[in-house]
Amino acid sequence: MSDSQSDTDYFQEIVAEIETEARNRAATGEYPRALLRSLEEEFRRWIPDASLENGVEDTIRGIEAASYVDASVPLESRSSVGSFVKWVVRRLTYFYHRHMAQQVTALGIHVTRPLRLLDAMLKNIDRRVSAIEDQLDVGAAARSELIAGIANTCVPEEFKEILLEHLTDAPGRVVFGDLFQPELLRFLSRQSVDIYGVSPTGDTIEAVDVRQEQLLDHLSHLESDVLGGFVLCGVTDRGSLNEQLRVLRLLLLRCKPGAPVAVIVAHPESLSSRFGPVATDLLHGRPLHPETWCYLLSREHASDLTVTEASDSTCSLITAKLQ
Amino acid sequence: MTSVHQLVPTISPRDAVGNHTLALREILRSSGFESEIFSMFRHSDLMADTHYVDDLPGDADAVIYQFSIGSPVADRWARHPAVKIANYHNITPASLVGKWDGLLAAEVQLGRDQMARYAKICDHAICDSDFNKFELDVLGYRSTETIPVLFDPLLAAPNQGVLTRLKRARRGTQVLFVGRVAPNKAHHDLVAAVKTLRETCDDDAHLHFVGTDGPPGYRSALDTIINHAGMRDHVTFHGSVPPEQLVSHYLAADVFCCLSDHEGFCVPVIESMNHGLPVVAFSCTAVAETVGSGGLLLADKSPLVVASALHRVSQDASLANRLRDAGHRRAKCFDRSVVEQQFRSQISSRLLESL
Repeated sequence: MSDSQSDTDYFQEIVAEIETEARNRAATGEYPRALLRSLEEEFRRWIPDASLENGVEDTIRGIEAASYVDASVPLESRSSVGSFVKWVVRRLTYFYHRHMAQQVTALGIHVTRPLRLLDAMLKNIDRRVSAIEDQLDVGAAARSELIAGIANTCVPEEFKEILLEHLTDAPGRVVFGDLFQPELLRFLSRQSVDIYGVSPTGDTIEAVDVRQEQLLDHLSHLESDVLGGFVLCGVTDRGSLNEQLRVLRLLLLRCKPGAPVAVIVAHPESLSSRFGPVATDLLHGRPLHPETWCYLLSREHASDLTVTEASDSTCSLITAKLQ
Repeated sequence: MTSVHQLVPTISPRDAVGNHTLALREILRSSGFESEIFSMFRHSDLMADTHYVDDLPGDADAVIYQFSIGSPVADRWARHPAVKIANYHNITPASLVGKWDGLLAAEVQLGRDQMARYAKICDHAICDSDFNKFELDVLGYRSTETIPVLFDPLLAAPNQGVLTRLKRARRGTQVLFVGRVAPNKAHHDLVAAVKTLRETCDDDAHLHFVGTDGPPGYRSALDTIINHAGMRDHVTFHGSVPPEQLVSHYLAADVFCCLSDHEGFCVPVIESMNHGLPVVAFSCTAVAETVGSGGLLLADKSPLVVASALHRVSQDASLANRLRDAGHRRAKCFDRSVVEQQFRSQISSRLLESL
């Protein structure tokens, strides 16, 4: 076996060991997941959004090509004398023409640069507007009517005690959102769980802290590592996939290591039977399966993952602890 | 005398393509050709030694175009009646730079357009790596081959002042990356990896960046990320440095780490190997074939994996020694004399035949 082959094999073994070690240390919580989540969020936040596509590209390319000024004046003439005279004049003035040509060429290049930038900006705006147009719901009115007519999934009584036990030793304030069942928040609060709710509809309960705003907006304004845990529901039933994943990402970022977390999610099948085919088809989002939430949380190396199904099989409670 | 001239959009010293172009000119001249370099933007140090692009003789026998960015100079090459040879150093995809620098994105996009447009008129293409060759083959270039880039082995003696200062300041693992501060070089991934290394294994680890600034937007975002990650005191940007100082950095560091998302060759990897610095790199584009059997190639550049690899190399003396030995062996494959010989035989066998 050659030295290089032997080196390759040896280094591949080492890399495999390193990858296994990294996985094991991550699984045992030795690596700070909160730190990595925070880094990912920061990098995502600071990467600007712009790109370039085809458009007036050809025009700019034409300007660039035309900005090339050839200092060598053609010598062709109908007579050899004329050609000779042109040659002499060119020889005598070449230094001057070349100097000018270089400057004009440089100017052309500098002119096309901002044009390219403008082109890129326009395309970017165009793309963003297109994306927003896609998001602007042409059936928004119909969808609003549907949502207004659909009751939230009722959290079963049996989940109360599980949640209480799970949240009791939370290392800080627990957020409950989207809050749609004030009784559950009141129950947990009275049992000395340091908890507050976020409700887009503004449901308030006396002596219980409820913020009236969208959960995403609320989480966006929080600092990292300030929450002691979360109970996530509501948005899990009807938020778009992107909304659900974004909320989860922000919650993970805002929670301290060791925070207990809980997700209450309706069963997709039971929800569609309850909503009927029209609402199921037209609603933006659909509930993710409990297995999917488990997968998403396990990807973040959450531990003690438990799934509890409601006795009437309408929804599930997923609990876990963050690392 | 047969003339084989080179066209290059920009020529400057301390630049991989610039150095390669100057070295190739010497090979062409010593092989008996008349050879000059013609460029649109010339560094002041090279004004007397190179020519403005308009001065390219119309009766040149062959013109080699150094292809690494979009430029109107490529159109000049394409229109020239001589035998046309492309020396392809790869062009960063616009998708990797577009988010950071619209102007640069426009230039690289133009380069990619030109690369595709000139497939049919190019008589022969020389590529730095098989990765680059594959790109041209896919575009339909009829004759391609791989010859590595020509670069100086960096034999300069280290700058003792810089070396002493670096050694005096060192505490934990010293991680080095050399390259332009550009998004495709993924400096931000290195910051994340070293941040993780500091948090988990080595709270004195330090990251050194050597290289010129690229898109201002990227550098600015990188500074923000570094501040926010609490790494301001643990990351040093040294900027572009002369060869003696660069050698000092190679000698003072513990490991060279490259997490680039796109490279057409990556000269600093070989320079590190030449100076006995263990190499850890993310295996992508041409990096894998440049590193070859001379370093640790990671398929995953998540901060956890990279931090583990850096820690392992810095703690495992036998692994570091083996990496040094393997690196030296690998670097020999790119030795200037070996690559020069490849260019000479290429010139004698193919170029002379086609003229």
